[in-house]
Amino acid sequence: METKEKIQIDWKVVFKLGFILLLISGVAACCLALTNYVTAGTIEEMNIQANTEARQEVLPEATDFEEVPVADVEKIATEISMAKPEELLEIYIGKNGSEITGYTVKTGPGSGFGGEVQVLTGISTDGVITGITIIKHNETPGLGALATGEWNDQFTGKSATEELIVVKGTAKEGSNEIQAITGSTITSKAVTEGVNTSILVYQTLSE
Amino acid sequence: MNFIQNLKKGIIKENPIFVLLLGMCPTLAVTTSAVNGMGMGLATCAVLICSNVVISALRKVIPDNIRIPAFVVIIASFVTIVGMLMKAYLPSLDASLGLFIPLIVVNCIILGRAEAFAFGNGIADSFADGLGMGLGFTLALTILGSIREILGAGSIFGFSLFGAAYEPVLLMILPPGAFLTLGLLIGLINWKTKKA
Repeated sequence: METKEKIQIDWKVVFKLGFILLLISGVAACCLALTNYVTAGTIEEMNIQANTEARQEVLPEATDFEEVPVADVEKIATEISMAKPEELLEIYIGKNGSEITGYTVKTGPGSGFGGEVQVLTGISTDGVITGITIIKHNETPGLGALATGEWNDQFTGKSATEELIVVKGTAKEGSNEIQAITGSTITSKAVTEGVNTSILVYQTLSE
Repeated sequence: MNFIQNLKKGIIKENPIFVLLLGMCPTLAVTTSAVNGMGMGLATCAVLICSNVVISALRKVIPDNIRIPAFVVIIASFVTIVGMLMKAYLPSLDASLGLFIPLIVVNCIILGRAEAFAFGNGIADSFADGLGMGLGFTLALTILGSIREILGAGSIFGFSLFGAAYEPVLLMILPPGAFLTLGLLIGLINWKTKKA
């Protein structure tokens, strides 16, 4: 004879436990919502301010920045035949009065060591890179993260007429070479990829 | 056990890193420099104290068989709140540590202390336990981070020590450096304590 042991489920206990858990989660959710309500505005403001400052930093000549509409950004991404058009994030036109002084391009190449690296590149209308800055990254602290420091100064002054290439060892002065960060070639390449995309965007825009 | 004892045991006798070997994942990952180690330690300490106190306060309310999901909800909420507050009011600290804050959720010290201590002890003792364990964690991470930064980057807390002539041992700030340093430190501590 087969004796099947039947597991008794005490539904009362199940509902009671579920209810307590629901209560705890509910209170936690309320606390989170409250904190979010208090901080969201400040965080948003801080982001806008940080972005404006970053644009000013990479394109110091400009006094005003005008955003290029998303539809146009998408069009440019197809025009320069990017493999991943979603990696072109934002384009701003830098102006000084009514005169256009240059462009800032935000790119997010996903080829970094820790995924996406967001690079903001400033290029003046005379075809010179006026500066780059890393907005966001997930690179290894102490290695790839060094790209946020002095390393990215070497992009400043490079010509936006040809593609930049990453070299290990010392880069030739006045050439299109970028010296890789020791131990972080992947990060160096990802940042340079972002800058190269920006160069293509600049070339399309200035035509 | 009294307050002081609870506080002291986490720092030395039951140091979470060197003795209990808890929370190895963030320990190995973030100790690439002294500042990172210390920042991660202090952020963890804050979450640990909050979660210990709340879990201790709710220990009579939370039924035994759903304590783990309840702990996880409480801990994750605190981590998210700390993260949001840091983003809004301490943006410079957030810029250097923002990446590590969500990692605190998976730090087993916090769940470990909730389970092993806060769920069975009073609020004041749990606070002391959280503070002690948190400080012990911070101390261990700062030591690890310092050693790795000195050898791997030739600096401490960002200040250059040996000048440009020093060729840094890059391995030390790479993942193997974390394992080597931690292993040797634990070995040293065991050797010292066994001898005494």
